[in-house]
Amino acid sequence: MKQFYLTLLFTSLSNLLFAQLSTIKGKVQLENGKPLSHVTIKVSGTSIVGISNDKGIYELRNVPFGDHKILVSSLEIKPQKIAVLIDKPKQNVDVTIDATGDVALDEVQIVGSSTKREIETQGFAVNVIETQGASLRSFQTNELLDRTVGVRVRQNGGLGSAVNYNLNGMSGNSVRIFVDGIPISTYGESFSLNSIPPALIERIEVYKGVIPAHLADDAMGGAINVILKKGMSNNLVASVSYGSFNTIQSNFSGLFRDSKSGLTVKASGFHNYSDNDYEVWGKFVRNILPNGRYDYVRARRFNDAYRSLGGQIELGFTDVKWADQFFIGYNGSDDYNEIQHGTYMTIPYKGRFTESQANVLNLNYRKRDFLTKNLEFTFNGMHSDRSQVVNDTVRWNYNWFGEKSVGLDGNPILRPTGAQQGAATILHIDRKVTTFRSGLNYYVTKNHRLVLNHIFYTIDRKERDDMRSAVEREFIGTRDLQKNVVSLAYEANTFERRLKTNLFGKYYQQKIDRVDPVLLSENGQQVRTEDRANSNKTIMGYGLASSYALNPTLILLVSAEKAVRMPSENEIFGSPGDNIIENVNIRPEISNNFNLGLKLGPYQLDQHRLSFSTAGFLRDTRDKIVQRINPRINDALQTNPYENLGKTKSIGFEAEINYVFNDKLNILFSASRFNQVFNIRYDDRGNQYDNYNKQLPNEPFFTINSMAQYTFSHLVQKNSSLNIYYNFGFVDRFYTTWIDLEEFRTPKQFIQDIGASYFFPNKKLVLSADAKNIFNRQVYDNFAVQKPGRAFYLKLNYTITNF
Amino acid sequence: MASAVVIALSFSSCSKNDGPDNPSNPGGNPDRWITVAGALMGSDPGDGNGGTMVYAVSKEDARNPEVSINVYQDGFAVRSNRTARLQSSEDGNTLFNIAYTGDNGGEFSRYHVNGGGSFTQEDVSVNISQYASTSPRWVKLFDGDQTGIAVNVANIAANNAGENSANEPFQYYRGTATVLALDLQEVLIKGYRQYQIPLTPEEEIQGHTIFRLDAPVLNQAGNKLIIGTWMQKRNPATGQTEQNFERLGSKSVVVDYPSLENPTVITSTVGFGDNSGYRSFNSFLAEDGSIYQATQRDSKGSHILRITPENEYDNSYNFSLDAALGVQDAYVDCWRYAGNGIAYVLYTHGGSDQGYVARLDLNTQTATRVDLPYDPDLDFGQYQGILVDGNEVYIAVTPTGKDGNIYIFNSETGEVTQGAKLVNRTGNHYIGIF
Repeated sequence: MKQFYLTLLFTSLSNLLFAQLSTIKGKVQLENGKPLSHVTIKVSGTSIVGISNDKGIYELRNVPFGDHKILVSSLEIKPQKIAVLIDKPKQNVDVTIDATGDVALDEVQIVGSSTKREIETQGFAVNVIETQGASLRSFQTNELLDRTVGVRVRQNGGLGSAVNYNLNGMSGNSVRIFVDGIPISTYGESFSLNSIPPALIERIEVYKGVIPAHLADDAMGGAINVILKKGMSNNLVASVSYGSFNTIQSNFSGLFRDSKSGLTVKASGFHNYSDNDYEVWGKFVRNILPNGRYDYVRARRFNDAYRSLGGQIELGFTDVKWADQFFIGYNGSDDYNEIQHGTYMTIPYKGRFTESQANVLNLNYRKRDFLTKNLEFTFNGMHSDRSQVVNDTVRWNYNWFGEKSVGLDGNPILRPTGAQQGAATILHIDRKVTTFRSGLNYYVTKNHRLVLNHIFYTIDRKERDDMRSAVEREFIGTRDLQKNVVSLAYEANTFERRLKTNLFGKYYQQKIDRVDPVLLSENGQQVRTEDRANSNKTIMGYGLASSYALNPTLILLVSAEKAVRMPSENEIFGSPGDNIIENVNIRPEISNNFNLGLKLGPYQLDQHRLSFSTAGFLRDTRDKIVQRINPRINDALQTNPYENLGKTKSIGFEAEINYVFNDKLNILFSASRFNQVFNIRYDDRGNQYDNYNKQLPNEPFFTINSMAQYTFSHLVQKNSSLNIYYNFGFVDRFYTTWIDLEEFRTPKQFIQDIGASYFFPNKKLVLSADAKNIFNRQVYDNFAVQKPGRAFYLKLNYTITNF
Repeated sequence: MASAVVIALSFSSCSKNDGPDNPSNPGGNPDRWITVAGALMGSDPGDGNGGTMVYAVSKEDARNPEVSINVYQDGFAVRSNRTARLQSSEDGNTLFNIAYTGDNGGEFSRYHVNGGGSFTQEDVSVNISQYASTSPRWVKLFDGDQTGIAVNVANIAANNAGENSANEPFQYYRGTATVLALDLQEVLIKGYRQYQIPLTPEEEIQGHTIFRLDAPVLNQAGNKLIIGTWMQKRNPATGQTEQNFERLGSKSVVVDYPSLENPTVITSTVGFGDNSGYRSFNSFLAEDGSIYQATQRDSKGSHILRITPENEYDNSYNFSLDAALGVQDAYVDCWRYAGNGIAYVLYTHGGSDQGYVARLDLNTQTATRVDLPYDPDLDFGQYQGILVDGNEVYIAVTPTGKDGNIYIFNSETGEVTQGAKLVNRTGNHYIGIF
């Protein structure tokens, strides 16, 4: 109780200290963009009033923070009231009036200025990453995510290397990635967060533990939803960046809309290349001499080049009678990725690489007031043809200088596994993926909405290994997977939008067809037939997300979900090659996820602005799908099924503080810490396990990120500006095995980056320079895998708008 | 301690060709350290994937049932991601380990035993992963701690695999075998050879192939290594590994020593199982000059096979454990020859995982189950260290997750003595005495 009073006291004091006043600016215009002058804009219930000038611009000063109604009136139109939430010291509210005189706040503008806060205050544990600033710098999308509180991106090297995402301690299969709400797997390996540049991204939403209904997938631990840019004004943006390790990253995006017919063309493309030949050293980098002794070396990575190339073109109509948006598009991408090593850096590979391509056709349709008023319909259909080749045929051992390792007799040594990582392989994996996603949003009243979503996903996979014999190649089974997820949500804004509630239920259905060829003896003859089986699993999940604004600067957030992850095809049907046998009775993994959060601010005092947010979370995972290990039979013949055996629990918190001075200095500090523990307490006889409540090995559980940015105006040229940045990252050491052995502990890591961006006076050209890991520290995401050291990048951005 | 080393050295130098243990030293070395090893669970009880811990006591303490040993609380963690592959020097003063998987997989290191939880890792190590993978199979030869032999088979493929040979008819599946000799004293690789080891064309056309090699042993003449095999059969019509197939007679690979060249295959007509053992010795040279070898996954239950001093199977020697113990499907988890024709074997039967200890007489081909407090959770599946010291055989008997004891078996009299108590933790088990 005491704490409750303290909190109240703290907030009321804050309210005294920080005046919560905003200046609203905006443009009044007709639908076709023509400005309207002499329109009166008044904040209802106050004396704050403004009139639009001949360019349609109006301004309202000293508007208190909070929910307001704005009264729009003029001689030509009938007066109307519109609700807006004022929560920023400077806020842009554009007003659009259609020919009949109906008034609407311009949604695009509103979205552009406050989507982040809008999403972050719905009640979900969500972070919205805006890419505006970052897109000007030499950043990769994964680096942006890694700086987000509660997100740990674990990458096996430099640009293009394999990535695993950890959200509050949940990782692997339980975290799903989406692009505009569509599972990213539809697009293929060649269109991943490794290849999509921040410049093509409007924003990234990171949902932790509790996933809203519109992201319909079995994302048990969290979801990362990448929203690609959808600006509606004509523009062309291009950038190119060059830097260390021969890294070149370039991209463009453009949009043209014919305002008469509504015909719209959008196009974008990217090209990334890096040699990734950064230097590595330390105890994991050693050449093995012929007699088996170690020779510790410093060496450059030599089999790690990465190239990706892709583009997207969409043609359609926007804001026409029959559609708000209608697009038909094509997305093509291609990548080439050399692989330097496996889980550990101790054995360098040569000649192992993957190549992948994807061709995706898509159709998008969106219409408000579909069939009836207040009903919004969205449809997204996609079909993709993906292919991937894993190539590993080099038979020799290599050392870190890229030379063949020789044995005592001076001859090269054959790899003990056959090729670099395993047996020699030229494995072709072809997938056809079709995804249909449709949504209906119905506004029962302005503050009550029903959301119905359905996603259908089917994947048809074929494999062929050219290094196998002809018989083996023919004798291979197929797996077809179909998934349906239906979700229904009810969203309510009540108590003058102070209480936002989002209740949702999700129904998952997953069907897998298995066809394995078998040989049967008929009259002494071996006859090939097919052994068919299928599995059909259904399960329900449900959850709640809610936020309550005690006042405009103090918001409480709570969310909970019974989240599920469906078993994968290998987990159900096994994989003879990996000695996994089938278990058709396996159940989905279940996790009870809970988040509790608090958002404070922004508080404004003169030029100072401060905001703070914190959240605590719990992930209680049961029926975790694990492969039971049989200690008796030796590893290679252990044909064991997957079973619902594991239990883990993750408890933690995260916090973020943002301080802004005079819109010039911006300091962001965030920290995240969790305890992910083994949660099986007793064995069959009721004895407590030693590992019970013990931190799982190999989890970076404590991370800190901080960023400072300062803007100088008119520094060199009039109307130019210069931004300088500093970034600091910290990852605490962690054990990588169950035994607390110092040798199996990663060191503490401190990473520091600096950068600057210069905006030329015409605002079309921006030049950025970045220096990453400036003190050239050894950085590890995964145990024993070193990431790039000190690196420099230069980037040029060019933007044309409104042509 | 210095006198102990001298005794041990003289002991090991004269034991070279006498088989594993010298019966002329019945009491063993009174000052020998007894090192106990325990495996920690990873995510499943009994999986041993949490790592390995060791603890050394005096022989007096090891024999004293009043003494409690808690390796998990007081022990030293051996550097290995998963269960370590431990061996000890004959004098008990040095532990040898090859780390299994992980960033240091394939790394051989030596630890000096100081007593208690104090072990000093010697600063030189050697890595054999380029030859034998990061999860190598190895044992020490009984040659006075001079040599370790690691073996590996990789890249099993059909002769007509790959684009270039797709039109050729199928003839065989073969892998590439590696045999490597490690100098345990200098901590260096002494030599290695890599080759394909063919079976007979009739066996190969059916899809039989050597899937693994393990548990090598040096013959009496010291000029050949006998290496155990784990056989596999693939269906040439489908390329898939067969789970149930008619097993061939047990096979061993014989190579020249020390050159490691000229691999040949010998085949038993008595045993039909593999003889690769599990993480420790599986074949022993006895005083009669013969090598005795246990079988696993034997379609007729585990057998003890005899290989003559001429390096051929003696098919007149037929020692079936099923018959001798009066059980079905006997399975040898681990065993050790103790001298004078006597051996101790840890086995299961009837498809259960429950382990038992039996005393074998190789000369009379008889076996007797030793009377011990057996428990359904006693599982020797990962057991890898039976210590023979003079006439005495030391075995750690702990059911998974329960306390147990060291037991000392007198190979001459058959007498059983309960030794120190082994304190256990849930999900863990003791895996050896070194």
